[in-house]
Amino acid sequence: MPQATKKMTRLCQAGPAEWATMLEVDGQRGVEGRTMTDGMTRMDGDQTLNADLEKTSRPIGEASGLPNRCYTDPGHFALETARLFDRAWACIGFAKDIPEPGDARPIDHLGRPLLALRGKDGEVRVFHNVCSHRGMVLVDEPTRIRSVIRCPYHSWCYGMDGALKATPHVGGPGHNAHAAIDRATLGLREVRAAVWFDLIFVDLSGKAPDFESFIRPLAERWFPFDQAELRHAGEDGSFQLEVRCNWKLAVENYCESYHLPWVHPGLNSYSKLEDHDNIVEPGLFSGQGTRVYNPQLSNDGRRFPDFESLTASPKPVTDVWRTRAEYVALYPNVLLGIHRDHFFAIRLEPLAPDLTREHVEIYFAGNAALGADFADLRQTLKTMWHEVFVEDVFVVEGMQRGRASDGFVGGVFSPVMDEATHAFHRWTADRLLSSGGTPDDRQPDLSHGRPSLPEAV
Amino acid sequence: MPSLMIASERQAYDRLDSAIRDAHGDGKLGVLAAHYAEGGALYENQGETDAACFFWTQAYIFALDAGIDDLADTMRAKLDVCGRMG
Repeated sequence: MPQATKKMTRLCQAGPAEWATMLEVDGQRGVEGRTMTDGMTRMDGDQTLNADLEKTSRPIGEASGLPNRCYTDPGHFALETARLFDRAWACIGFAKDIPEPGDARPIDHLGRPLLALRGKDGEVRVFHNVCSHRGMVLVDEPTRIRSVIRCPYHSWCYGMDGALKATPHVGGPGHNAHAAIDRATLGLREVRAAVWFDLIFVDLSGKAPDFESFIRPLAERWFPFDQAELRHAGEDGSFQLEVRCNWKLAVENYCESYHLPWVHPGLNSYSKLEDHDNIVEPGLFSGQGTRVYNPQLSNDGRRFPDFESLTASPKPVTDVWRTRAEYVALYPNVLLGIHRDHFFAIRLEPLAPDLTREHVEIYFAGNAALGADFADLRQTLKTMWHEVFVEDVFVVEGMQRGRASDGFVGGVFSPVMDEATHAFHRWTADRLLSSGGTPDDRQPDLSHGRPSLPEAV
Repeated sequence: MPSLMIASERQAYDRLDSAIRDAHGDGKLGVLAAHYAEGGALYENQGETDAACFFWTQAYIFALDAGIDDLADTMRAKLDVCGRMG
């Protein structure tokens, strides 16, 4: 096939989100941070990118990391939005932020206005936060919906189920209907959503596999922890960090333990490198586990209550989790930590190719940990995690600055220490290389080995 | 506003108009709904169905937004009777 025809075919196969990227010419930042020269189109850059991604997708001992462009280029950022976020179960927020029926929270999800709403039935739903009439954003700040969502422009009203309930004056003053306006077809567009461990996930494409199959491997891995016991720590369990790095660097740094003795010497004093293992569920999540978790936050022997569901589990299970903790990145944008006595989640909010907001939320097991007698321990725990995550900032920001270097071409992976990082790179590369369909339709590739489950689980 | 009205009625409209402006400024939805419902009644008494339906529509929407279900139902019923809800 002639080259021009191939390019046209690729254009036709791609979506509008990709067209701009593929057709941009000259002066754009290209692969590995270089500026493309005269006559070189972005499509040529795409071909180079694909070649790089294919290298990333190789087995770990032969693989290169993602090229610099994946961390610096606005066009690539848009491509990731389409291929890594929109066709997957991405996290947009926390259900604890809309605790009561009628609570609504607008969310800017990679530039798209969404509305998370807890209905009268207690269920969390997510809608596109725009009026069906003229596209006005409906809700601008967190609020309690009393009965309807009223558009601030022409006051079209929607029920909490998204149904269009009123179209005032649409047929002229005092005439509230018109034959051309079919209310039954003009409700808010609902987004496929699910809540797990208080995290709100959405599938904007509507084409990802069902949520149950997406979350099952992790849910089964963490089966001793009953999410019904989760209690958010309120002010004692919430903070944000804004880091000047691409969101993927936050994932990559989180899911490996290699850096712990150098970046977190405090953690190393009781959780040495050799006490950690890799966790890899190809195509879904990766991270690290420690076998020596031993919470000692007070001098008087007090500690947070354990999950009752864990305590009630068979002895081999409780034996494992008494000292085990796990830290996994659930692709694309959630970082999770589970322990016998608390859980935390970090939602990564990509703001720009080189800017990410980390939303950190800490939960305990049951109400007892929220009492006044644990107030000092909650503060100590929050401070500890805050210090740990702040310790990581110079690393991820340093790696981001490094992506401007022509001297770096993706890097390599230690087959021993970087397994979890490579698993994320491989997932990223595979999805970026998939121009059509939904990569989630595929079963996870298990050829890279089974996850390292605790022996007794 | 009707061209023929007695002075007391004009005062009522003027007072209502001022109250509605104030309520819009305050963002008090329930008060707005009540004022617009009152305006609808005034125009209904004048036989001004179109004007009444405009006010009832305003009252209906603000009552919906405020979660004042009884008033919203009443306004909707009045608009239904006039064939204004489709």
